[in-house]
Order: sequence, then structure tokens, then C-alpha cells
Amino acid sequence: MAAPLPADGSAQEHFPAEAKVLLVGNPNVGKSVVFGALTGRYAQVSNYPGTTVELTRGRATIAGADHQVIDTPGTNNLLAMSEDEEVARDILVAEKGARVVQVGDAKNLRRALLLSVQLAEAGVPFVLALNMLDEARARGIRFDVDALRAALGVEVVGTVAVAKEGIDELARAIPAAHPASLRIAYPEPVEKAVAALEPHLPETGITRRALALLLLADASMERWAERHLAPPVRDAAAAARASLTQELKLPLRTVLGRTRLETADRLAAKVMRRGEAQGSGARIARWIGDASVHPVGGFVFLAAVLVVAYYFVGVFGAGFLVDWLENVFFAEYVVPATDWLIRAIVPAGAVQEFLAGPPGVPVEESRGLLVGAYGLVSMALSYGIAIVLPIVMTFFIAFSIMEDSGYLPRLAVVANRLMKRMGLNGKAVLPMVLGLGCDTMATMTARIMETKKERVIVTLLLALGVPCSAQLGVILGMLSGISLTGALFWSGSVVGTILLVGWLASKVLPGQTSDFLLELPPIRRPQLSNVVIKTVARIEWYLKEALPLFVLGTFVLWVADRLNLLPWVIRAVEPVVTGVLGLPPEAGVSFVLGFLRRDYGAAGLFDLFNERMRAGTLGVEGEIQVVVAMVVITLFVPCIANFFMIVKERGLKTGIAMAAFIFPFAVAVGGVVNLLMHWVMG
Amino acid sequence: MSADHRESCPLCGTDFDPEGLGCRPTCPMAKGCSTVCCPGCGYSFPQSNSGLAGKLAKWLKGRKEA
Repeated sequence: MAAPLPADGSAQEHFPAEAKVLLVGNPNVGKSVVFGALTGRYAQVSNYPGTTVELTRGRATIAGADHQVIDTPGTNNLLAMSEDEEVARDILVAEKGARVVQVGDAKNLRRALLLSVQLAEAGVPFVLALNMLDEARARGIRFDVDALRAALGVEVVGTVAVAKEGIDELARAIPAAHPASLRIAYPEPVEKAVAALEPHLPETGITRRALALLLLADASMERWAERHLAPPVRDAAAAARASLTQELKLPLRTVLGRTRLETADRLAAKVMRRGEAQGSGARIARWIGDASVHPVGGFVFLAAVLVVAYYFVGVFGAGFLVDWLENVFFAEYVVPATDWLIRAIVPAGAVQEFLAGPPGVPVEESRGLLVGAYGLVSMALSYGIAIVLPIVMTFFIAFSIMEDSGYLPRLAVVANRLMKRMGLNGKAVLPMVLGLGCDTMATMTARIMETKKERVIVTLLLALGVPCSAQLGVILGMLSGISLTGALFWSGSVVGTILLVGWLASKVLPGQTSDFLLELPPIRRPQLSNVVIKTVARIEWYLKEALPLFVLGTFVLWVADRLNLLPWVIRAVEPVVTGVLGLPPEAGVSFVLGFLRRDYGAAGLFDLFNERMRAGTLGVEGEIQVVVAMVVITLFVPCIANFFMIVKERGLKTGIAMAAFIFPFAVAVGGVVNLLMHWVMG
Repeated sequence: MSADHRESCPLCGTDFDPEGLGCRPTCPMAKGCSTVCCPGCGYSFPQSNSGLAGKLAKWLKGRKEA
């Protein structure tokens, strides 16, 4: 029975090892709630020595004895990837004889078991608390707790910590906690290296075998080794590590991770059952869920999703909505109203002409700051609100539906296979999927990749070929104005470039790949309120981030126009734009400003071709121009913010090298597409 | 841990407290951004309790409760 005691400043008193309880678990599994349920409200928070990581300690009476309970930082792996994980591992290594309570999320059993397997290997006496059992049950997940208990060889207790359910049972199990009986065997070279190192290691909170594996696979253990091991033992560990890397052809942490994951998967399959589908709705959801990750059916499903998205975003958003907003709302109301307002407020003269141009001159021939060919209202707001906003809005709706339905992670699974074939780590799917929202954010999340090589490849592919939501929307709009052949040329060029560059980069760059773990949530009917809230949040983000840059870009254009620099810009890039790409010279301005934002450049190109696309007068030559322009602008670096992010995350040298590669490469691919399309269609 | 507001990752389903998990500190476009990163898989998505979306969420919740 756990009886909470108030902390009285003695929480850090010396406690015998068997009176210490370490709470260990993945992040956000309710560990702190279990801590609170065991100890009561009072706790002491202090930094773990030498780090900024906070540790919470409290006291509890368990089975009549005073215990110290320590809430360790959330960890997914004892082979640490972050300071939090290092602290959790160091505590386990240091606290010899302490009892461990692993708190696991019952909804995400694989992730919990991956840690259980490592605690079993560490030989610590532990109890597994399967928390959030109520939520797991609500999702139709059932557990054979006896089978899990037998397989792990430790006590397993189901808990709902927020309701204090199972907490008494957990407290009763803690004093009897013992090391697990589960054993894992690794490939022979690993076992040999571990066996050779074990006898020379000191006794710690974990077994010598687990310590040997940590020393061999976790670079962050070097600091620990310097303090606790004699130089010859450290040298032996370093030599064994180098020899294993050579022999296994993979990093040891990848080999260990795969073996542990297989063990966790086997355990999960043995003890967990998803509830049988009840009712026709559940059966349909189950069928959709299975079909969407089928090796062949998954791609058919993906194609169907893309067709629906194309009609919604490309035809409805970029066609109907843009047409109305640009040609009716802006052209007939907003721009004339702004012009009228300026002339009504500002007296006729130089200032009025500066803002709106001379009276009676058509907008496209005027050079006014607000109303004119490059006016902040007639161009910047027209691009940002009339062209891009309806497209991104429909795209965000489609994206939110995919998220809320549970399809997005399945898309990641399907794409994962493709990623692996081109030599990329499966986890790369996550930043790639995210890149369809915003490449700048996605570049930052490339950090989830484990090796530098993977991070560089993902960053490069994001900058090169993954169009962000705004740009993808404009492109879908342009696709709706051209033939299927043209659309296939664009998609083939972009996908082919990603595959080729990814494959080449994986061959050229040194390093290895690692594994990918993703729990699939059930397929469900999207909630209208969720979709609306997420869409509004994304539109708000777009308006705050993109619109100011649209205004800045237009202002740069306006200044260049007033200083008569635009003809120079057009002439400077004309040999490439017309000679290599076969485009009208005016497209050069869109490409130059495309660096500010790719979607701004794309919107300019959309504007350039839109009238002919809508009228159906593009012809073969016009269609080739649209496809070539789309390919080049898709392969450009997404925006200036993305470039800064690349520099920040990967360093100035890598950032400049990527930009220096991407811009000429984009033009070269555009030139090849131009030649190919003339050969095929001309 | 804040019990007031939790987010559920649309990618991996992890249910988590978004406090302190925003991408803001490291992003050059940080100002006004209300994105959170899932601690389980790293996926980023907009928070549903801030800005205009937050107001809308509160209003929808209020209507539901009424």
C-alpha cells in the first residue's frame, strides 16, 4: 500500500538501495502521474549533477517501509540519443540494487516493450506498469497479462494512473521486483566482443553484459568509461567497437536495435489482441486500414487519394476559387476600391501618383506602390490571397483529413518501402511527409535521423524536390490546366530526380542507415471540428509567415521596376530562361524571386500562364513551357527561410554547397525536360 | 505536466503534454509559430489551443458543452 508522505527536506537523505524506486519509461506515458499517485503531492526537484535535466524525488511508504521514489527523464532507448536519455541511463547504471518501475503506454505496447527488453537485459529488478489501460481498452486493444508476465519473467500490473486504478497493486509488487528471465542473443561477433569485455568491467546497477553492450554501442558512454575504467579496458572497448563496425557493416546500435525490436514485436504479437471489428463501420475501417498498407494495394490506394486531392485542390481550389477571387473579387472590387480610396483621400498630385499611378491608366501599366503592375495590393495581396490562399486552404483541408483519418502514418509506411529502395533510412518518411506542409519545419525535424549522412540526405531532398503546401497547391492548380502527358512529365521528372539524387547521395556520402518504428493508430472517420481547427491553425501560420514575404518580394520588384532594373534582370537570365529552358523571358523574374519563396515564384508563373490555360490556348509549346517552368521551380531551394534553416542545422559550408548544387541542377533538369518533351510531343 | 491541454500526434498517435515541445526556440521563423513536435516520432503539427484556432476550439467546445 502506498501512503504518501510530505517532503520535509529529507527526500535526499541516504536511502538503502532496496528502498529506492526508480520510475523509468518512454516520454509522456504518465510517469509523473504514477509518481504523484505513489508519493502524494510533495516532491523535490533538482538538476541531475552536471546537466540541466531535472529530476523529481519524493517519498512513499511502500509495504510499511519508507522509500525514496525518483522520477527519471523519459527515455526510448538506453543507448542514449539525448541528454535526457543519458541521465536516465546513468541513473540505472549508478543505482545498484534499486527497484525499477517501468511505466509503459498500453496504447503503444511495442514502444513500451522495446524498453522492457532493455531493462530485462540490464538485469535490474523491475515491475512493468501498463498505464492508460482504459484508453487502450477504448481502442479495442486487449492484453494477455499472464502471457506477458510469463514471457518477460517480471510482474506486470495494469494501471490507470489518473484514476489511481492499479496503484495499490503496483505498490505491493515493488518490494518483490526481481530481474526478468527474458534473454536476447545477438549475432556471434557481438556475443564474442561482449564476452571478452565482461570480465574486466566493474559491478554497477546493470549487468556486466548490458554495460559491455553500452560501452560498445553508445558513444556517450566514453565519459563514464574515463571515470570508471582503467585505460587498457577503455582501449580494448574502443578496439572491439572499431572491429565490430568493420565486421557487421552496420553500426552496432542498429544491430542491437533491430534484434531488440524483433523481440519486442514477437512479444507484442503474442500478448496483444486488437478487438474484433464490431459493426459495418468498424469492418470498413479495418478493411481500409489493411488495404492502405498493402504492398500493392497501398499504392493503388495512394493513387486514389491523390486523384481526389487533385480534384479538390487543383480543380476546385486552384480553378474555381482562384478564378473567382482573382478575376472577380480582386479585379472588380478590391483593386478598384483601393484605387478609389487612394484618390478620395490623397489629393491629386505626386503622392497620389506614387501610390496609385496616374488617373485613367490601366493597373497593369501603372507603377503605383499600392495599385500598379507591381503594387502591394494589386500584386502582393492578389498573389497571397487570391492565388495562393485558396489553394493552400483546400490543400490544408485535404491534409488535415488525411491526418485525422489515420491515413497519414499509413502513407508513411507505404512510402517507407520506396525510401528504403533508394537507399534511405525509413524514418526519412517523416520529415518528407512533413515537408509537404513546410520544408523549413521539416528540415529541423531531420534531426530525428540517427546519422549525419541520413540528416544530410533528407535535408538535401527536402530542399531539392519536396514541394511545400503552398507550392504544391499552385502546382496542382497548374496541372489542372495541362494534359495528362504534361502532368506525367512533371511528376516523373520530380520523383525521378528525388530517387536519383537520393540514391547517388546514399552511395557518395559515407555512413549507414538505421531502423524505423511507428505504431499505426486505427483508421477513423475524420472529426469535422478537428479538421476545421487544424486548417485554421495552418492558414493562420501561412498568413503570418508567407504573406509578409509576398509583400517584401513585391516591394523588391516595385523598386526594381522604378529603377528600371527589371529589363536588366530579365536580360541577365534570358540566355538560361529562353535558351536552355525555352520559356518566355518574363519567367526569369519569377525564378529570381522564387528564391525568396518557391511558391511566390510559382504564383508568378501561374499568373504568367493562367489566362492561356483557362482559355485552352496553350498549345503544345505552351504546355511544354508550363511543365518546364514547374519542374525548375519545384527543384529550387524552397525559400530563404529554408536556406537559413539548412545553414543553421547543417552548417554554412553544407548550406552553400547544397544551394550551389541545387540551382544549376534545377535548371539542368528543366533543360533536359524541355528537350525530352519536344522530342516526345513535338 | 499540465493537465489542461494535451495533444495527440496525428502521425503515431502519441498522446502528450505539448508544454515545452514547440519547435519555436530553434526556428528562424519562430515568431508567431505555434507548432509542436511529437516526442514519439518527431512529427510537427499546429497546436490546437493557440491563436485563432485556439479561440475557435474553445468556442466549439463551449457550444458542445452547452
